[in-house]
Amino acid sequence: MNFSLTYLELAVVALALGLLLLELWTPTALKPKLGYVAAAGLALILGWSFADTIPSESATAFSQMYVRDGLALFFKRFFLMAAILVLIMSVEFSDRIRMGVGEFYVLILFALTGMMFASSANDLIMVFVSLELITISFYVLVSFQRSRMGSLEAGVKYLIMGALSSAFLIFGIALVFGSAGTTNFDGLLQVTKGAADDKVLWLGLLLVLAGLGFKIAAFPFQMWAPDVYQGAPTPVTAFLAVGSKAAGIVLLLRVFLGAVPPVTGQWTKLLMVMAAITILYGNLCAIPQRNLKRLLGYSSIANAGYLLLGLSVLNASGCSAMLYYLAGYLFTLAAAFTVICLVARESDDISSLAGLSQRSPLLAACLTLAMVSLGGIPPLAGFFGKFLLLKSIIEQGPVNPGYYCLAGTALFGVVVSLYYYFGVIRAIYLSKEAPDLTPITVSVPARLSLGVCVIGMFYLGLFPQTALLVAQEAVSALKF
Amino acid sequence: MTAPGLHHYLVISALLFCLGLFGVIVRRNILIIYMCLELMLNAANLALVSFSRFNNNLDGQVMVFFIITVAAAEVAVGLALIVALYRRRQTTDVHDLTTMKL
Repeated sequence: MNFSLTYLELAVVALALGLLLLELWTPTALKPKLGYVAAAGLALILGWSFADTIPSESATAFSQMYVRDGLALFFKRFFLMAAILVLIMSVEFSDRIRMGVGEFYVLILFALTGMMFASSANDLIMVFVSLELITISFYVLVSFQRSRMGSLEAGVKYLIMGALSSAFLIFGIALVFGSAGTTNFDGLLQVTKGAADDKVLWLGLLLVLAGLGFKIAAFPFQMWAPDVYQGAPTPVTAFLAVGSKAAGIVLLLRVFLGAVPPVTGQWTKLLMVMAAITILYGNLCAIPQRNLKRLLGYSSIANAGYLLLGLSVLNASGCSAMLYYLAGYLFTLAAAFTVICLVARESDDISSLAGLSQRSPLLAACLTLAMVSLGGIPPLAGFFGKFLLLKSIIEQGPVNPGYYCLAGTALFGVVVSLYYYFGVIRAIYLSKEAPDLTPITVSVPARLSLGVCVIGMFYLGLFPQTALLVAQEAVSALKF
Repeated sequence: MTAPGLHHYLVISALLFCLGLFGVIVRRNILIIYMCLELMLNAANLALVSFSRFNNNLDGQVMVFFIITVAAAEVAVGLALIVALYRRRQTTDVHDLTTMKL
Protein backbone atom coordinates (compact mmCIF):
# COMPACT_ATOMS: atom_id res chain seq x y z
CA MET A 1 0.00 0.00 0.00
CA ASN A 2 1.40 3.32 -1.02
CA PHE A 3 -0.43 6.26 0.49
CA SER A 4 2.20 8.79 -0.52
CA LEU A 5 1.13 8.55 -4.16
CA THR A 6 -2.13 10.29 -3.29
CA TYR A 7 -0.44 13.33 -1.75
CA LEU A 8 -2.20 15.81 -4.02
CA GLU A 9 -5.65 14.49 -3.13
CA LEU A 10 -4.75 14.32 0.56
CA ALA A 11 -3.60 17.93 0.42
CA VAL A 12 -6.91 19.02 -1.11
CA VAL A 13 -8.90 17.09 1.53
CA ALA A 14 -6.77 18.61 4.29
CA LEU A 15 -7.35 22.07 2.83
CA ALA A 16 -11.10 21.45 2.68
CA LEU A 17 -11.30 20.23 6.29
CA GLY A 18 -9.08 23.08 7.47
CA LEU A 19 -11.33 25.55 5.69
CA LEU A 20 -14.39 24.03 7.33
CA LEU A 21 -12.77 24.58 10.74
CA LEU A 22 -11.54 28.06 9.88
CA GLU A 23 -15.05 29.00 8.83
CA LEU A 24 -16.25 28.44 12.43
CA TRP A 25 -14.07 31.24 13.75
CA THR A 26 -14.49 33.63 10.84
CA PRO A 27 -16.82 36.61 11.35
CA THR A 28 -19.79 36.53 8.96
CA ALA A 29 -18.64 39.62 7.08
CA LEU A 30 -15.33 37.98 6.21
CA LYS A 31 -16.70 34.56 5.23
CA PRO A 32 -16.96 35.30 1.50
CA LYS A 33 -13.21 36.00 1.48
CA LEU A 34 -12.49 32.40 2.52
CA GLY A 35 -12.77 31.61 -1.18
CA TYR A 36 -9.47 33.43 -1.73
CA VAL A 37 -7.89 31.31 1.02
CA ALA A 38 -9.11 28.17 -0.73
CA ALA A 39 -7.90 29.42 -4.14
CA ALA A 40 -4.49 30.33 -2.71
CA GLY A 41 -4.23 26.91 -1.07
CA LEU A 42 -5.06 25.22 -4.36
CA ALA A 43 -2.52 27.40 -6.17
CA LEU A 44 0.14 26.13 -3.73
CA ILE A 45 -0.95 22.52 -4.35
CA LEU A 46 -0.86 23.17 -8.10
CA GLY A 47 2.68 24.50 -7.70
CA TRP A 48 3.58 21.45 -5.64
CA SER A 49 2.37 19.16 -8.42
CA PHE A 50 5.03 20.68 -10.69
CA ALA A 51 7.74 19.93 -8.14
CA ASP A 52 7.99 16.28 -9.14
CA THR A 53 8.59 15.05 -12.62
CA ILE A 54 6.03 13.20 -14.72
CA PRO A 55 6.47 9.53 -13.86
CA SER A 56 7.57 7.50 -16.86
CA GLU A 57 6.48 4.29 -15.14
CA SER A 58 3.00 4.17 -13.68
CA ALA A 59 2.79 3.40 -9.98
CA THR A 60 -0.27 1.95 -8.26
CA ALA A 61 -1.70 2.12 -4.76
CA PHE A 62 -4.65 0.59 -2.85
CA SER A 63 -4.24 -2.85 -4.42
CA GLN A 64 -3.99 -1.41 -7.93
CA MET A 65 -7.14 0.64 -7.66
CA TYR A 66 -5.28 3.93 -7.92
CA VAL A 67 -2.73 4.63 -10.62
CA ARG A 68 -0.36 7.53 -10.92
CA ASP A 69 0.93 8.25 -14.40
CA GLY A 70 1.28 11.11 -16.86
CA LEU A 71 -2.41 11.14 -17.79
CA ALA A 72 -3.48 11.33 -14.14
CA LEU A 73 -1.05 14.16 -13.43
CA PHE A 74 -2.22 16.13 -16.48
CA PHE A 75 -5.84 15.91 -15.39
CA LYS A 76 -5.04 16.67 -11.76
CA ARG A 77 -3.40 19.93 -12.80
CA PHE A 78 -6.34 20.62 -15.10
CA PHE A 79 -8.87 20.13 -12.28
CA LEU A 80 -6.82 22.20 -9.82
CA MET A 81 -6.65 25.05 -12.33
CA ALA A 82 -10.40 24.81 -12.98
CA ALA A 83 -11.18 24.84 -9.25
CA ILE A 84 -9.00 27.92 -8.65
CA LEU A 85 -10.82 29.87 -11.37
CA VAL A 86 -14.21 28.67 -10.11
CA LEU A 87 -13.39 29.65 -6.52
CA ILE A 88 -12.44 33.18 -7.54
CA MET A 89 -15.69 33.33 -9.50
CA SER A 90 -17.57 32.10 -6.41
CA VAL A 91 -16.24 34.96 -4.30
CA GLU A 92 -17.74 37.39 -6.82
CA PHE A 93 -20.95 35.41 -6.62
CA SER A 94 -21.02 35.11 -2.81
CA ASP A 95 -23.37 38.08 -2.24
CA ARG A 96 -26.09 36.04 -3.92
CA ILE A 97 -25.66 33.05 -1.61
CA ARG A 98 -27.82 33.68 1.42
CA MET A 99 -26.19 31.29 3.88
CA GLY A 100 -23.40 28.76 4.09
CA VAL A 101 -20.82 30.49 1.89
CA GLY A 102 -18.02 28.62 3.65
CA GLU A 103 -19.63 25.27 2.93
CA PHE A 104 -20.07 26.30 -0.69
CA TYR A 105 -16.29 26.59 -1.10
CA VAL A 106 -15.68 23.37 0.83
CA LEU A 107 -18.10 21.44 -1.38
CA ILE A 108 -16.24 22.70 -4.44
CA LEU A 109 -13.06 21.28 -2.91
CA PHE A 110 -14.75 17.92 -2.21
CA ALA A 111 -15.99 17.72 -5.78
CA LEU A 112 -12.43 18.55 -6.86
CA THR A 113 -11.12 15.65 -4.74
CA GLY A 114 -13.53 13.32 -6.53
CA MET A 115 -12.31 14.56 -9.91
CA MET A 116 -8.68 14.07 -8.92
CA PHE A 117 -9.37 10.52 -7.77
CA ALA A 118 -11.29 9.90 -10.99
CA SER A 119 -8.25 10.87 -13.04
CA SER A 120 -6.29 8.14 -11.25
CA ALA A 121 -8.95 5.43 -11.37
CA ASN A 122 -7.62 2.00 -12.26
CA ASP A 123 -10.58 -0.07 -11.15
CA LEU A 124 -14.30 0.11 -11.81
CA ILE A 125 -15.02 0.45 -8.07
CA MET A 126 -12.77 3.50 -8.03
CA VAL A 127 -14.64 4.86 -11.06
CA PHE A 128 -17.95 4.51 -9.23
CA VAL A 129 -16.83 5.93 -5.89
CA SER A 130 -15.02 8.94 -7.34
CA LEU A 131 -17.89 9.72 -9.71
CA GLU A 132 -20.33 9.61 -6.81
CA LEU A 133 -18.13 11.92 -4.74
CA ILE A 134 -18.32 14.40 -7.61
CA THR A 135 -22.02 13.94 -8.25
CA ILE A 136 -23.23 14.08 -4.65
CA SER A 137 -21.21 17.25 -4.03
CA PHE A 138 -22.82 18.69 -7.14
CA TYR A 139 -26.36 17.82 -5.99
CA VAL A 140 -25.84 20.18 -3.06
CA LEU A 141 -23.96 22.80 -5.07
CA VAL A 142 -26.55 22.99 -7.86
CA SER A 143 -29.40 23.57 -5.40
CA PHE A 144 -27.40 25.85 -3.13
CA GLN A 145 -29.61 28.91 -3.70
CA ARG A 146 -32.52 27.22 -1.98
CA SER A 147 -34.61 30.39 -1.94
CA ARG A 148 -34.57 30.54 -5.75
CA MET A 149 -36.96 28.17 -7.47
CA GLY A 150 -34.74 27.70 -10.52
CA SER A 151 -31.86 26.45 -8.43
CA LEU A 152 -34.01 23.95 -6.52
CA GLU A 153 -35.64 22.71 -9.68
CA ALA A 154 -32.25 22.24 -11.33
CA GLY A 155 -31.07 20.41 -8.20
CA VAL A 156 -33.97 17.93 -8.27
CA LYS A 157 -33.55 17.33 -12.00
CA TYR A 158 -29.82 16.75 -11.58
CA LEU A 159 -30.55 14.45 -8.64
CA ILE A 160 -32.90 12.22 -10.60
CA MET A 161 -30.78 12.10 -13.74
CA GLY A 162 -27.57 11.68 -11.75
CA ALA A 163 -29.01 8.81 -9.71
CA LEU A 164 -30.31 7.21 -12.91
CA SER A 165 -26.87 7.40 -14.49
CA SER A 166 -25.27 5.87 -11.38
CA ALA A 167 -27.77 3.03 -11.55
CA PHE A 168 -26.81 2.36 -15.17
CA LEU A 169 -23.13 2.56 -14.31
CA ILE A 170 -23.44 0.19 -11.37
CA PHE A 171 -25.49 -2.39 -13.22
CA GLY A 172 -22.96 -2.22 -16.02
CA ILE A 173 -20.12 -2.74 -13.56
CA ALA A 174 -21.96 -5.74 -12.08
CA LEU A 175 -22.28 -7.35 -15.51
CA VAL A 176 -18.63 -6.64 -16.37
CA PHE A 177 -17.59 -8.15 -13.06
CA GLY A 178 -19.75 -11.19 -13.69
CA SER A 179 -18.42 -11.95 -17.13
CA ALA A 180 -14.79 -10.92 -16.70
CA GLY A 181 -14.36 -11.93 -13.05
CA THR A 182 -12.45 -8.76 -12.26
CA THR A 183 -13.01 -5.03 -12.11
CA ASN A 184 -9.36 -4.06 -12.30
CA PHE A 185 -8.35 -2.35 -15.54
CA ASP A 186 -5.17 -4.40 -15.97
CA GLY A 187 -7.19 -7.56 -15.42
CA LEU A 188 -9.89 -6.42 -17.86
CA LEU A 189 -7.22 -5.74 -20.49
CA GLN A 190 -5.96 -9.32 -20.15
CA VAL A 191 -9.49 -10.74 -20.35
CA THR A 192 -10.62 -8.68 -23.35
CA LYS A 193 -7.43 -9.47 -25.25
CA GLY A 194 -8.46 -13.12 -25.05
CA ALA A 195 -12.19 -12.88 -25.83
CA ALA A 196 -13.58 -9.52 -26.91
CA ASP A 197 -17.01 -10.69 -28.02
CA ASP A 198 -18.65 -11.87 -24.80
CA LYS A 199 -22.21 -10.52 -25.02
CA VAL A 200 -22.67 -10.04 -21.26
CA LEU A 201 -19.44 -8.05 -21.15
CA TRP A 202 -20.66 -5.96 -24.08
CA LEU A 203 -23.96 -5.20 -22.39
CA GLY A 204 -22.11 -4.26 -19.20
CA LEU A 205 -19.73 -1.95 -21.02
CA LEU A 206 -22.63 -0.42 -22.93
CA LEU A 207 -24.29 0.46 -19.61
CA VAL A 208 -20.99 1.89 -18.34
CA LEU A 209 -20.81 3.99 -21.51
CA ALA A 210 -24.36 5.21 -20.81
CA GLY A 211 -23.44 6.13 -17.23
CA LEU A 212 -20.38 8.09 -18.36
CA GLY A 213 -22.33 9.57 -21.28
CA PHE A 214 -24.64 11.21 -18.74
CA LYS A 215 -21.67 12.88 -17.10
CA ILE A 216 -20.33 14.43 -20.28
CA ALA A 217 -23.88 15.15 -21.55
CA ALA A 218 -23.56 13.20 -24.79
CA PHE A 219 -26.57 12.21 -26.89
CA PRO A 220 -28.89 10.41 -25.94
CA PHE A 221 -28.14 11.25 -22.30
CA GLN A 222 -28.03 15.03 -22.66
CA MET A 223 -31.54 16.09 -21.61
CA TRP A 224 -30.57 17.26 -18.12
CA ALA A 225 -27.80 19.63 -19.23
CA PRO A 226 -29.72 22.76 -20.39
CA ASP A 227 -32.06 22.91 -17.38
CA VAL A 228 -29.33 22.24 -14.83
CA TYR A 229 -26.91 24.68 -16.44
CA GLN A 230 -29.58 27.36 -16.44
CA GLY A 231 -30.78 26.86 -12.88
CA ALA A 232 -27.51 26.25 -11.04
CA PRO A 233 -25.55 29.12 -9.47
CA THR A 234 -23.18 30.48 -12.16
CA PRO A 235 -19.87 29.25 -10.64
CA VAL A 236 -21.39 25.79 -10.22
CA THR A 237 -22.47 25.82 -13.86
CA ALA A 238 -18.89 26.64 -14.81
CA PHE A 239 -17.52 23.82 -12.67
CA LEU A 240 -20.09 21.39 -14.09
CA ALA A 241 -19.25 22.40 -17.63
CA VAL A 242 -15.49 22.12 -17.19
CA GLY A 243 -14.73 19.84 -14.24
CA SER A 244 -17.53 17.32 -14.37
CA LYS A 245 -17.23 16.96 -18.14
CA ALA A 246 -13.47 16.50 -18.01
CA ALA A 247 -13.90 13.89 -15.27
CA GLY A 248 -16.29 12.00 -17.55
CA ILE A 249 -13.78 12.29 -20.40
CA VAL A 250 -10.82 11.00 -18.38
CA LEU A 251 -12.92 8.04 -17.20
CA LEU A 252 -14.00 7.31 -20.79
CA LEU A 253 -10.31 7.31 -21.76
CA ARG A 254 -9.36 5.11 -18.82
CA VAL A 255 -12.13 2.56 -19.32
CA PHE A 256 -12.55 2.41 -23.07
CA LEU A 257 -8.97 2.99 -24.21
CA GLY A 258 -7.06 1.85 -21.13
CA ALA A 259 -9.01 -1.21 -20.00
CA VAL A 260 -11.05 -2.62 -22.90
CA PRO A 261 -9.56 -1.35 -26.19
CA PRO A 262 -10.31 -4.65 -28.01
CA VAL A 263 -14.04 -4.13 -27.38
CA THR A 264 -13.95 -0.41 -28.13
CA GLY A 265 -12.24 -1.25 -31.43
CA GLN A 266 -15.48 -2.92 -32.53
CA TRP A 267 -17.58 0.01 -31.37
CA THR A 268 -16.18 2.76 -33.57
CA LYS A 269 -19.46 3.07 -35.50
CA LEU A 270 -21.42 3.56 -32.28
CA LEU A 271 -19.01 6.23 -31.05
CA MET A 272 -19.06 8.00 -34.43
CA VAL A 273 -22.86 8.12 -34.51
CA MET A 274 -22.96 9.32 -30.91
CA ALA A 275 -20.46 12.09 -31.66
CA ALA A 276 -22.26 13.21 -34.82
CA ILE A 277 -25.73 13.37 -33.25
CA THR A 278 -24.39 15.09 -30.13
CA ILE A 279 -22.76 17.80 -32.27
CA LEU A 280 -25.87 18.35 -34.37
CA TYR A 281 -28.25 18.31 -31.40
CA GLY A 282 -26.21 20.73 -29.29
CA ASN A 283 -25.61 23.22 -32.06
CA LEU A 284 -29.09 23.20 -33.59
CA CYS A 285 -30.90 23.47 -30.26
CA ALA A 286 -28.66 26.35 -29.16
CA ILE A 287 -29.85 28.60 -32.00
CA PRO A 288 -33.18 29.84 -30.54
CA GLN A 289 -31.91 30.20 -26.94
CA ARG A 290 -32.18 33.59 -25.25
CA ASN A 291 -30.78 32.62 -21.86
CA LEU A 292 -26.99 32.84 -21.74
CA LYS A 293 -26.46 29.93 -19.36
CA ARG A 294 -28.91 27.74 -21.26
CA LEU A 295 -27.14 28.65 -24.50
CA LEU A 296 -23.84 27.60 -22.97
CA GLY A 297 -25.56 24.41 -21.78
CA TYR A 298 -26.42 23.47 -25.36
CA SER A 299 -22.98 24.58 -26.47
CA SER A 300 -21.47 22.26 -23.87
CA ILE A 301 -23.47 19.37 -25.37
CA ALA A 302 -22.00 20.24 -28.76
CA ASN A 303 -18.53 20.36 -27.21
CA ALA A 304 -19.06 16.89 -25.71
CA GLY A 305 -19.66 15.81 -29.29
CA TYR A 306 -16.39 17.36 -30.50
CA LEU A 307 -14.56 15.61 -27.66
CA LEU A 308 -16.13 12.27 -28.65
CA LEU A 309 -14.61 12.76 -32.12
CA GLY A 310 -11.22 12.29 -30.52
CA LEU A 311 -12.38 9.14 -28.74
CA SER A 312 -13.90 7.61 -31.86
CA VAL A 313 -10.56 7.38 -33.71
CA LEU A 314 -9.02 5.28 -30.91
CA ASN A 315 -5.48 6.45 -31.40
CA ALA A 316 -2.93 8.65 -29.68
CA SER A 317 -3.36 11.67 -31.95
CA GLY A 318 -7.11 11.73 -31.29
CA CYS A 319 -6.61 11.53 -27.55
CA SER A 320 -3.93 14.21 -27.38
CA ALA A 321 -6.26 16.41 -29.44
CA MET A 322 -8.97 15.80 -26.83
CA LEU A 323 -6.66 16.84 -24.01
CA TYR A 324 -5.61 19.94 -25.92
CA TYR A 325 -9.22 20.81 -26.66
CA LEU A 326 -10.15 20.41 -22.99
CA ALA A 327 -7.34 22.74 -21.91
CA GLY A 328 -8.56 25.43 -24.31
CA TYR A 329 -12.16 24.81 -23.23
CA LEU A 330 -11.20 25.34 -19.58
CA PHE A 331 -9.82 28.86 -20.14
CA THR A 332 -12.56 29.82 -22.57
CA LEU A 333 -15.46 28.76 -20.38
CA ALA A 334 -13.89 30.14 -17.21
CA ALA A 335 -13.61 33.54 -18.91
CA ALA A 336 -17.19 33.40 -20.21
CA PHE A 337 -18.70 32.39 -16.88
CA THR A 338 -16.67 34.90 -14.88
CA VAL A 339 -18.09 37.67 -17.07
CA ILE A 340 -21.63 36.28 -16.81
CA CYS A 341 -21.20 36.05 -13.04
CA LEU A 342 -20.21 39.73 -12.86
CA VAL A 343 -22.69 41.13 -15.36
CA ALA A 344 -25.90 39.11 -15.29
CA ARG A 345 -27.10 39.83 -11.77
CA GLU A 346 -30.88 39.93 -12.17
CA SER A 347 -31.43 37.72 -15.20
CA ASP A 348 -29.26 35.59 -17.43
CA ASP A 349 -30.97 36.80 -20.57
CA ILE A 350 -28.76 37.77 -23.47
CA SER A 351 -30.35 41.25 -23.40
CA SER A 352 -28.69 41.87 -20.01
CA LEU A 353 -25.41 42.16 -21.94
CA ALA A 354 -26.69 45.29 -23.72
CA GLY A 355 -24.33 48.20 -23.28
CA LEU A 356 -21.62 46.05 -21.74
CA SER A 357 -19.03 47.58 -24.06
CA GLN A 358 -19.68 50.92 -22.32
CA ARG A 359 -20.18 49.56 -18.81
CA SER A 360 -16.91 47.66 -18.81
CA PRO A 361 -14.79 47.40 -21.95
CA LEU A 362 -12.60 44.81 -20.20
CA LEU A 363 -15.46 42.39 -19.56
CA ALA A 364 -16.88 43.00 -23.02
CA ALA A 365 -13.52 42.12 -24.58
CA CYS A 366 -13.12 39.01 -22.43
CA LEU A 367 -16.57 37.66 -23.28
CA THR A 368 -16.01 38.41 -26.96
CA LEU A 369 -12.71 36.54 -26.92
CA ALA A 370 -14.38 33.61 -25.18
CA MET A 371 -17.17 33.47 -27.77
CA VAL A 372 -14.68 33.74 -30.64
CA SER A 373 -12.65 30.91 -29.11
CA LEU A 374 -15.75 28.74 -28.60
CA GLY A 375 -16.70 29.42 -32.21
CA GLY A 376 -13.30 28.12 -33.31
CA ILE A 377 -11.82 31.15 -35.00
CA PRO A 378 -8.03 31.58 -35.17
CA PRO A 379 -5.84 32.55 -33.41
CA LEU A 380 -7.54 31.43 -30.18
CA ALA A 381 -7.40 28.13 -28.34
CA GLY A 382 -10.74 26.83 -29.61
CA PHE A 383 -9.57 26.99 -33.21
CA PHE A 384 -6.50 24.87 -32.72
CA GLY A 385 -8.36 22.35 -30.57
CA LYS A 386 -11.01 21.84 -33.24
CA PHE A 387 -8.32 21.76 -35.93
CA LEU A 388 -6.44 18.96 -34.14
CA LEU A 389 -9.61 16.93 -33.59
CA LEU A 390 -10.66 17.27 -37.25
CA LYS A 391 -7.13 16.45 -38.39
CA SER A 392 -7.10 13.27 -36.32
CA ILE A 393 -10.38 12.02 -37.80
CA ILE A 394 -9.54 12.98 -41.37
CA GLU A 395 -6.27 11.07 -41.05
CA GLN A 396 -8.40 7.99 -40.35
CA GLY A 397 -10.54 8.65 -43.44
CA PRO A 398 -8.69 6.21 -45.73
CA VAL A 399 -9.35 3.40 -43.22
CA ASN A 400 -13.06 4.07 -42.89
CA PRO A 401 -14.83 6.59 -45.18
CA GLY A 402 -17.35 7.19 -42.39
CA TYR A 403 -14.79 9.49 -40.81
CA TYR A 404 -15.14 11.90 -43.75
CA CYS A 405 -18.89 12.14 -43.07
CA LEU A 406 -18.12 12.71 -39.40
CA ALA A 407 -15.68 15.50 -40.27
CA GLY A 408 -18.33 17.07 -42.53
CA THR A 409 -20.88 16.94 -39.71
CA ALA A 410 -18.42 18.53 -37.29
CA LEU A 411 -17.65 21.32 -39.77
CA PHE A 412 -21.37 21.93 -40.29
CA GLY A 413 -21.74 22.13 -36.51
CA VAL A 414 -18.94 24.69 -36.28
CA VAL A 415 -20.57 26.87 -38.94
CA VAL A 416 -23.94 26.72 -37.18
CA SER A 417 -22.34 27.54 -33.85
CA LEU A 418 -20.80 30.73 -35.27
CA TYR A 419 -24.34 32.07 -35.67
CA TYR A 420 -25.31 31.90 -32.02
CA TYR A 421 -21.90 32.80 -30.62
CA PHE A 422 -21.96 35.94 -32.74
CA GLY A 423 -25.47 36.63 -31.48
CA VAL A 424 -23.90 37.10 -28.05
CA ILE A 425 -21.19 39.40 -29.42
CA ARG A 426 -23.84 41.41 -31.25
CA ALA A 427 -25.72 41.88 -27.97
CA ILE A 428 -22.56 43.22 -26.33
CA TYR A 429 -21.60 45.78 -28.95
CA LEU A 430 -24.57 46.56 -31.18
CA SER A 431 -27.58 46.39 -28.88
CA LYS A 432 -29.37 49.75 -28.96
CA GLU A 433 -31.59 49.58 -25.89
CA ALA A 434 -29.31 49.68 -22.86
CA PRO A 435 -31.36 50.54 -19.76
CA ASP A 436 -28.51 50.52 -17.29
CA LEU A 437 -25.15 52.07 -18.07
CA THR A 438 -23.58 52.07 -14.61
CA PRO A 439 -19.94 51.00 -14.84
CA ILE A 440 -19.08 47.59 -13.39
CA THR A 441 -16.15 47.45 -11.00
CA VAL A 442 -14.06 44.31 -11.32
CA SER A 443 -12.08 43.22 -8.26
CA VAL A 444 -8.35 42.53 -8.54
CA PRO A 445 -8.58 38.70 -8.16
CA ALA A 446 -11.29 38.59 -10.82
CA ARG A 447 -9.08 40.67 -13.10
CA LEU A 448 -6.24 38.24 -12.44
CA SER A 449 -8.33 35.19 -13.24
CA LEU A 450 -9.67 36.83 -16.41
CA GLY A 451 -6.09 37.68 -17.33
CA VAL A 452 -5.02 34.07 -16.84
CA CYS A 453 -7.92 32.91 -19.02
CA VAL A 454 -7.11 35.36 -21.82
CA ILE A 455 -3.41 34.49 -21.73
CA GLY A 456 -4.33 30.81 -21.74
CA MET A 457 -6.59 31.24 -24.77
CA PHE A 458 -3.95 33.14 -26.74
CA TYR A 459 -1.06 30.94 -25.66
CA LEU A 460 -2.82 27.71 -26.64
CA GLY A 461 -3.89 29.26 -29.93
CA LEU A 462 -0.58 30.87 -30.92
CA PHE A 463 2.04 28.50 -29.50
CA PRO A 464 0.45 25.07 -29.66
CA GLN A 465 3.68 23.05 -29.79
CA THR A 466 4.52 23.04 -26.07
CA ALA A 467 1.00 22.24 -24.93
CA LEU A 468 0.62 19.59 -27.59
CA LEU A 469 3.83 17.94 -26.42
CA VAL A 470 2.50 17.89 -22.86
CA ALA A 471 -0.77 16.34 -24.08
CA GLN A 472 1.07 13.71 -26.12
CA GLU A 473 3.26 12.84 -23.16
CA ALA A 474 0.16 12.45 -20.97
CA VAL A 475 -1.58 10.25 -23.52
CA SER A 476 1.43 7.97 -23.83
CA ALA A 477 0.36 6.53 -20.46
CA LEU A 478 -2.51 4.79 -22.25
CA LYS A 479 -0.16 2.55 -24.32
CA PHE A 480 -1.83 2.26 -27.70
CA MET B 1 -36.68 -29.51 -7.60
CA THR B 2 -33.26 -28.16 -8.35
CA ALA B 3 -31.57 -25.42 -6.35
CA PRO B 4 -31.76 -21.98 -7.99
CA GLY B 5 -28.74 -21.32 -10.20
CA LEU B 6 -26.90 -18.18 -11.25
CA HIS B 7 -29.25 -17.40 -14.11
CA HIS B 8 -32.30 -17.42 -11.80
CA TYR B 9 -30.77 -14.69 -9.73
CA LEU B 10 -29.70 -12.77 -12.80
CA VAL B 11 -33.18 -12.89 -14.30
CA ILE B 12 -34.65 -11.51 -11.06
CA SER B 13 -31.98 -8.83 -10.95
CA ALA B 14 -32.67 -7.83 -14.56
CA LEU B 15 -36.42 -7.76 -13.83
CA LEU B 16 -35.87 -5.53 -10.82
CA PHE B 17 -33.68 -3.21 -12.89
CA CYS B 18 -36.25 -2.93 -15.67
CA LEU B 19 -39.06 -2.45 -13.16
CA GLY B 20 -37.12 0.40 -11.58
CA LEU B 21 -36.36 1.99 -14.95
CA PHE B 22 -40.00 1.66 -15.97
CA GLY B 23 -41.07 3.34 -12.73
CA VAL B 24 -38.64 6.22 -13.24
CA ILE B 25 -40.05 6.83 -16.69
CA VAL B 26 -43.75 6.39 -15.91
CA ARG B 27 -44.31 7.66 -12.37
CA ARG B 28 -44.84 11.35 -11.68
CA ASN B 29 -44.20 11.57 -7.95
CA ILE B 30 -40.57 12.41 -7.16
CA LEU B 31 -40.53 10.22 -4.04
CA ILE B 32 -41.73 7.20 -6.00
CA ILE B 33 -39.20 7.95 -8.73
CA TYR B 34 -36.52 8.03 -6.06
CA MET B 35 -37.68 4.67 -4.69
CA CYS B 36 -37.50 3.23 -8.19
CA LEU B 37 -33.94 4.51 -8.52
CA GLU B 38 -33.03 2.70 -5.30
CA LEU B 39 -34.63 -0.42 -6.75
CA MET B 40 -32.28 -0.17 -9.74
CA LEU B 41 -29.25 0.13 -7.44
CA ASN B 42 -30.39 -2.91 -5.47
CA ALA B 43 -30.85 -4.87 -8.67
CA ALA B 44 -27.17 -4.26 -9.32
CA ASN B 45 -26.36 -5.35 -5.76
CA LEU B 46 -28.24 -8.61 -6.24
CA ALA B 47 -26.38 -9.26 -9.49
CA LEU B 48 -23.03 -8.56 -7.81
CA VAL B 49 -23.72 -10.84 -4.85
CA SER B 50 -24.92 -13.70 -7.03
CA PHE B 51 -21.93 -13.42 -9.39
CA SER B 52 -19.74 -13.34 -6.31
CA ARG B 53 -21.38 -16.45 -4.84
CA PHE B 54 -21.36 -18.53 -7.99
CA ASN B 55 -17.92 -17.51 -9.26
CA ASN B 56 -16.28 -17.91 -5.84
CA ASN B 57 -14.91 -14.37 -6.01
CA LEU B 58 -15.47 -12.22 -2.94
CA ASP B 59 -14.69 -8.91 -4.72
CA GLY B 60 -18.33 -8.55 -5.67
CA GLN B 61 -19.51 -8.61 -2.07
CA VAL B 62 -17.00 -5.93 -1.14
CA MET B 63 -18.30 -3.80 -3.97
CA VAL B 64 -21.82 -4.11 -2.60
CA PHE B 65 -20.63 -2.44 0.61
CA PHE B 66 -19.33 0.49 -1.40
CA ILE B 67 -22.62 0.76 -3.26
CA ILE B 68 -24.73 0.63 -0.11
CA THR B 69 -22.61 3.32 1.54
CA VAL B 70 -22.72 5.62 -1.46
CA ALA B 71 -26.45 5.03 -1.94
CA ALA B 72 -27.06 6.00 1.68
CA ALA B 73 -25.21 9.29 1.16
CA GLU B 74 -27.15 9.87 -2.04
CA VAL B 75 -30.48 9.25 -0.28
CA ALA B 76 -29.58 11.64 2.54
CA VAL B 77 -28.85 14.46 0.11
CA GLY B 78 -31.72 13.56 -2.20
CA LEU B 79 -34.43 13.46 0.46
CA ALA B 80 -33.20 16.77 1.88
CA LEU B 81 -33.56 18.27 -1.57
CA ILE B 82 -37.04 16.87 -2.06
CA VAL B 83 -38.10 18.23 1.35
CA ALA B 84 -36.70 21.66 0.42
CA LEU B 85 -38.65 21.54 -2.83
CA TYR B 86 -41.84 20.53 -1.04
CA ARG B 87 -41.51 23.39 1.47
CA ARG B 88 -41.21 25.86 -1.35
CA ARG B 89 -43.79 24.56 -3.80
CA GLN B 90 -46.04 22.22 -1.75
CA THR B 91 -45.70 19.64 -4.49
CA THR B 92 -43.72 16.52 -5.33
CA ASP B 93 -45.03 16.16 -8.85
CA VAL B 94 -42.51 16.36 -11.68
CA HIS B 95 -45.10 18.07 -13.88
CA ASP B 96 -44.75 21.15 -11.68
CA LEU B 97 -41.02 21.42 -12.37
CA THR B 98 -41.36 23.40 -15.55
CA THR B 99 -40.22 26.93 -14.82
CA MET B 100 -37.26 26.50 -17.15
CA LYS B 101 -38.57 25.89 -20.60
CA LEU B 102 -37.51 27.60 -23.75
